[in-house]
Amino acid sequence: MTRRNRHHERAERDGEHDEPRVADGGHERPADTDGGHERSPTPLEDVGAVGRAFRVEELPPLSSVARWFVTTNHKDVGVLYVVTSLFFLVFGGVLALLMRAELWTPAADLLGANAYNQAVSIHGMVMVFWFLSPLAFGFANYMVPLQIGAEDLAFPRLNALSYWFYLFSGLLLGASFFQEGAFSGGWTMYAPLNVPVYTPELGATTTVLALLLFVASITVSSVNFLTTMHRMRAPGLTLRKLPLFTWTILLTVWMMLFAFAALGAALVILTSDRVLGTTYFAAETAGGSLLWAHLFWFFGHPEVYIVFFPALGVMAEIFQTFSGRRLVGRKWFILAMVLVALQSFAVWMHHMFLTSINLQVKTLFMITTIGISLPFDLMVFALIYTLVKGKVRFETPFLFAFGALALFILGGITGVFLGAVVLDYEFRGTYWVVAHFHYVMVGGVTGLVGGLYYWFPKMTGRMYDETLGKLHFALYFVGFNLLYFPMFVAWETPRRVFVYDVSLLPWHQLSTVGGFLLGASFLVMFYNLTRSLWAGDRVEGNPWDYTTTAEWAVPSPPPLENYPEGTPTYARGKLEFLAPSAVRSLGRTGADGGTDEASTPSTDGGTVVRDRSSAPVVPETDFDEGGHDEHHASHASPWPFVVGVAAFFALLGLSGVNEGGLYLVLLAVGLLLGTVGFVAFGLEPFHVPEMVAAERWPFAGVENAKLGVWIFLASDVVLFGAFVGSYAFIRVAFGWTAWEPVPHDPFPGLVNTYLLLTSSFAVVLALVAAKRRSRAGLVGSLVVTFLLGVAFLVNKAVEWQELFHEGLTLSTGVRTSTFYLTTGLHAAHVVVGLLILLYLIARALRGGYLDDDRPVEYFGLYWHFVDIVWLFLFPLFYIF
Amino acid sequence: MSRLRLYVAIYVVLFAFATMQVFVEGLGLSYWTGFWAVIGLSAVKALLVAGYYQHLRFEPRSLSYLMLVGLTAAVVLTAAAAYSIS
Amino acid sequence: MFELSSSVGSVTAVLQAGGDVRTPATEFEAIFRVFLVLGVLVGVVVLVYMTYNAVKFRAGGPNTAEGDADRPRLGELPTGSGGGRKLFLSFGLSAVIVLSLIAWTYSSLLYVEGDPPGDDALDVEVEGYQWGWAFTYPNGYTDSTLRVPADRPVRLTLTSRDVFHNFGVPELRVKADVIPGQETDAWFVAEEPGTHTINCYELCGAGHSYMSADLVVMEPDAYETWYAGTDNSSEGSEPDGNETTSANGTTTANATLAGVLP
Ligand code: HEM
Ligand SMILES: [Cu+2]
Repeated sequence: MTRRNRHHERAERDGEHDEPRVADGGHERPADTDGGHERSPTPLEDVGAVGRAFRVEELPPLSSVARWFVTTNHKDVGVLYVVTSLFFLVFGGVLALLMRAELWTPAADLLGANAYNQAVSIHGMVMVFWFLSPLAFGFANYMVPLQIGAEDLAFPRLNALSYWFYLFSGLLLGASFFQEGAFSGGWTMYAPLNVPVYTPELGATTTVLALLLFVASITVSSVNFLTTMHRMRAPGLTLRKLPLFTWTILLTVWMMLFAFAALGAALVILTSDRVLGTTYFAAETAGGSLLWAHLFWFFGHPEVYIVFFPALGVMAEIFQTFSGRRLVGRKWFILAMVLVALQSFAVWMHHMFLTSINLQVKTLFMITTIGISLPFDLMVFALIYTLVKGKVRFETPFLFAFGALALFILGGITGVFLGAVVLDYEFRGTYWVVAHFHYVMVGGVTGLVGGLYYWFPKMTGRMYDETLGKLHFALYFVGFNLLYFPMFVAWETPRRVFVYDVSLLPWHQLSTVGGFLLGASFLVMFYNLTRSLWAGDRVEGNPWDYTTTAEWAVPSPPPLENYPEGTPTYARGKLEFLAPSAVRSLGRTGADGGTDEASTPSTDGGTVVRDRSSAPVVPETDFDEGGHDEHHASHASPWPFVVGVAAFFALLGLSGVNEGGLYLVLLAVGLLLGTVGFVAFGLEPFHVPEMVAAERWPFAGVENAKLGVWIFLASDVVLFGAFVGSYAFIRVAFGWTAWEPVPHDPFPGLVNTYLLLTSSFAVVLALVAAKRRSRAGLVGSLVVTFLLGVAFLVNKAVEWQELFHEGLTLSTGVRTSTFYLTTGLHAAHVVVGLLILLYLIARALRGGYLDDDRPVEYFGLYWHFVDIVWLFLFPLFYIF
Repeated sequence: MSRLRLYVAIYVVLFAFATMQVFVEGLGLSYWTGFWAVIGLSAVKALLVAGYYQHLRFEPRSLSYLMLVGLTAAVVLTAAAAYSIS
Repeated sequence: MFELSSSVGSVTAVLQAGGDVRTPATEFEAIFRVFLVLGVLVGVVVLVYMTYNAVKFRAGGPNTAEGDADRPRLGELPTGSGGGRKLFLSFGLSAVIVLSLIAWTYSSLLYVEGDPPGDDALDVEVEGYQWGWAFTYPNGYTDSTLRVPADRPVRLTLTSRDVFHNFGVPELRVKADVIPGQETDAWFVAEEPGTHTINCYELCGAGHSYMSADLVVMEPDAYETWYAGTDNSSEGSEPDGNETTSANGTTTANATLAGVLP
């Protein structure tokens, strides 16, 4: 057995395709779509008449409004992100100024209590979620593919989808103000204030749903970036050689993938508490309030680094460029970041030092917290030492990056105060915390603003006005410190209050003045950048001395497919643009000795995995020399936008589903539109060329779409993990053994286990049939899978029905809540699986998947995963 | 085809283990022994499904590590949170 | 729940019993002062150093090497500059400072987490609610103002009737989360008679800004007299805290609240 497999593996690495293979995966065929669906015209496309009516063959020109609704190009999407995030900066900024205006006097005058609390909450959310990360991801979208030598992200349409989810989640947040008011319980949304008993406004539900949609956007985006960055690097660009900005984004998306899954779980539970009436976070639930804190901060602490890392990357790039020096201790700098990224998942309870958690855990988390602060010392010193012996030019980007470092140092020092638990006990809930996190986070913003000036000429082909840039910095820096430094002095003010002790009046007034100055400084920036868009000096290529990264080696702005002079490669130790054939044959001869690919035998040409262009089953050979001309990459699709709109309607409808009426209509419209959008998305021919040659560590041999599925499943593991964790936590708080399972006997569960296991087996058979090119076998197995899935749901429905009759409903208590919601989430996964199955069956009936069985295989991965989850839910909810 | 036979054999094992889980209670084990025995059976089943049906065994190891990282995150959250209040 | 903390804490307490009373307030002040001095020092040194270097090595400045011999080039594979030793030296130094600071504060943490010194602590149960505080004494008497004797440790056991609150008396440096379904504890010693403000430090709804109460520290004799006159008939203003006025000059009565609430 083992020997056979090893032989098998090698055969695949060597690209031998003559041997008939079954579902053992690892075969690498060029990916050409991002929906996991082959791109050769298929019979079903005829069915998709809707699809054809909207098909966008060519990307409209930049000047056309339509372009921005259909584009999937990473640079366009990057611009969209940047512009939208700046819009949210203004939104969040106005809320902040309203608060500062209210705080001009120690009494309540301008805003009422509800308005102030909404302003605090939504300001925090908008700045952290809708402004900071999206600005960074605007840059990431634009620069990462350029820096790694890719033509686009791995899944361009999914990238557009991320953007539309992001925009519409923000609009949903805006809409919440008009439904009796937005959420007013702080951006941390502590339980039980977050349940309808205490925040009954419909808008509060909408805020939660908006955040949930944002989480969806981030998850899609993380999958996309991870696939891209791990599998689409130019030859010679091993992970260690990635530019620092790209490194920070890589670590950021890894953290995002897992952290946001936990937030997603928290928000799904919260939505269920608010809409379906479960009682996880109700005041009566043992441990419910602490459960929220755990889930939120398990996400929330990594989030701190998620918002800060990209800024750090920008700062590192700017420091290197404007000092003309390579980063000191680059290797250690990267290592420090990796450590922080890992450890960020083990410090969350330092936000809970004053709760009833035990002293042992407090001590443990105090230690991890101090541990995580140390790598930052190293990073700060590395940046400072980079200046030594440099040739420092104080241009606007550098001023901002330098200022950002100064602010970050102050934020870091004041953070050490909080790391001493005794001090934290006093600082908790005061303006010390407010001042500290603004120094850190807005310090990060400062770095990103530097990035905006740094890359403005790259993105627009025009130079901004340097004098105005410097003026912006001066106002910004003075305004910033005037705004936040007095908060350290007035630290005894409790957070999130609008009345304070009169003795603190001068400090708060200074702070308010600073706030308006800071706001005004952005007016200068907006004026400068808008005007320069038309009137700035033209920049042909690279306006800065001493840049190293590849985005500066292409025109400004880069053409649609990025590299007019050929395919980028680092195979000979430096960036070159060569004809695709040359890139392919070059291999990695010149590269620096396989640092990253030690595990792969050299027989396969190292990390440069060549495309299996000889794969017999795929007619197109678009990776051949000149293949680019044969098959243009697609850059436009209307469906991401449509799905985004659908999500907006559906979630707005969901927020008021208990009200009925218009909300039901909205929900129905949203769901319908979503279905149409997704089906059309799946049917649309969309071509993404595979790279001629690329570094793919450590995922060589796992084709893009397959890797995407796996990465998504990894985040789903955390989603379910957080659900099971919540159940375990509440059960421990309740008394583990005093807790009886909700179902009276395990047999319905056992039957369902049988059904799912059998359906998993049927999917395996489907893949075997597809490999044997048996249409009847394929369709038959898929139909059997489908029927078993339906039987699973029916059995569950019957079981639930009986429990309901006994009066055990979702809101009976937390025992039933956890049962229904956890198994319900699983059932929802089954439903999604069944919908995909319908699609697969329809296409299989017309002869699909016999030539290319990957969609069946990838569906199988998902379905088996759902099966595995059940294998654990069954004992946890039925037996014990 | 032998591969197919392997899949069938795994299916049989999965089926048998699932059945055993329900009857562990009857063995008269202590609560926690029984609990971990049943969870252990589930873990073995999960490994079989992941290893063979999802063919992780035949994929680059990095995919398995990817899933392990996700699993670790979930376990850390569950264990530390539960420990914090016990 | 806090076996570890209480045993270590009481040992420390006994050792300390001779001199001045160590209270959460004195612990905080001592540590805060040291952190402040060191923090300012480190901050100033680092900021001055980085600015100094940026200016010293400015382009065109006298210290800046001419020529681009060893400068980064477009399209090179990223590498780093040397200087690792200096980096690790500074890193090591900062790590030592931070680690020793935190280790030093840990004994204080154990002390604060432990039981109050002596064995005559007054036990008071605190219940937070939207938007006020209820204090229950050992005899069952409940009030919306917390009255305690001067110079005697007070041990609080806190919980919430509804949402998450946080109980804090800034002047006495005492603070604890107030969580529904959970009990937390805290202790303090008020050395002088006087009045302090109790605030809520966790956003808890529309009345959060006004959720304060008075802590009245009385002469021990006066306190005993007052306490003797109470019974378990939960006096006057509980539970809605209508007449509270806080020391900071803002009126915190529900009348004001009614004005702000819609
Ligand atoms: C640009 C990036 C910014 C970020 C990431 C940010 C982030 C945050 C966060 C997370 C909160 C906590 C909200 C809560 O407690 O629920 C907050 C509160 C606040 N922010 Fe900002 N903020 C930013 C900019 C500003 C600006 C420009 C101002 C002033 C003009 C400002 C003023 C405030 C005020 C007054 C509070 C309320 C503090 C409190 O009472 O807790 N922020 N901010
Ligand atoms: Cu409160």
